[in-house]
Amino acid sequence: MGIRNVGTSDAALVRRVQTGDTGAYADLVARYRDRLGRYALHMLGNREDAEEVLQDAFVRAYRSLARCDDPERFGAWLYGILVNRCRTAGPRAARRARRFVHDPAALAGPDGRTEWDDTVRWALARLPSESREAFLLKHVEELEYEDMARLTGAGVSALKMRVKRAREQLQTMLKEAERV
Amino acid sequence: MFEPVDDVIERIARHLRRPVRIDPALDGRVMREITALPTPGGATALGKAWGWLTRPHQLTLTPLGGLTVAAALAVVVLLSRMDSSAPGPPAPPQAESRAFQFVLVAPRATHISLVGDFNDWDAARTPMRRAGSEALWTAVVPLAPGRYHYAFLVDGSRWLADPSAPVARDEDYGEPSSVLTVGGGGS
Repeated sequence: MGIRNVGTSDAALVRRVQTGDTGAYADLVARYRDRLGRYALHMLGNREDAEEVLQDAFVRAYRSLARCDDPERFGAWLYGILVNRCRTAGPRAARRARRFVHDPAALAGPDGRTEWDDTVRWALARLPSESREAFLLKHVEELEYEDMARLTGAGVSALKMRVKRAREQLQTMLKEAERV
Repeated sequence: MFEPVDDVIERIARHLRRPVRIDPALDGRVMREITALPTPGGATALGKAWGWLTRPHQLTLTPLGGLTVAAALAVVVLLSRMDSSAPGPPAPPQAESRAFQFVLVAPRATHISLVGDFNDWDAARTPMRRAGSEALWTAVVPLAPGRYHYAFLVDGSRWLADPSAPVARDEDYGEPSSVLTVGGGGS
């Protein structure tokens, strides 16, 4: 134990955890909390589900840390676990989301920002989960298709098709929302 | 006229790329869960040496409204056995000390000391250190078997004790404190 070094690499922290310094895992959690939380939040559509899945992903990663073959790529490995957890939690979150009705006019603030935020969330939630996943990984997390393929287990061609469909569907839905 | 697809998508993507802030208390919840688990990669010699010997003694502090400490929680874990099991004459009692890690989640604190019977309640002797997370503070103390009163001193003036841990009956200190019992043998 001792003072944590902010500049410590992922690999060094992973090795410390593997040798019994459980406290070092707190550094990894803090390092990836917000970034992975963003993906989970957009994927699942609400903060409660996102935090639950995120916590689960961190705990599962800890349990499996001995199987993290390349500690230098801990972040990508952790990302893969989160993507899988989001897939599992997705249907439950989707059922909950259906209880909400899209009504931009009722939610719009004076500057319109609330309406836009709500519209984006609404459109994102209506995408099929595979398309939403591909869209977020490509356009929000800005991953290369090869990295997306490693994370999701899908082929590059399939991922490109999902992203293309997601873009088209989002465009259509935003047109629809503008008519409301 | 609608925007071209690429412009719409870029606008959505920019919106979704904005940083998201997840409650730092999540760090504490994760740490509470994993302290109950075996050390990953415990097959290494060092891992074994530092492996958990028992389930953790876990303490939870409720948020104290109006205090500088928000959503605070604490975990005390047995880090390792410090004595040796090598053959030879029995070790003296003080050689049976084990390292205990005290973990406190206190996102708004600027300084925390661990005080207790083990350091004569001296706030200068065991300052807690941030563990990377802006919310997480840790300190490790070797403890021989015995019964210890302890508390967290936050920002030099606020005492925190654990409501879910045994409360110290001793009123000598006039401040809340908790009790940690370190058993002998392997427990």
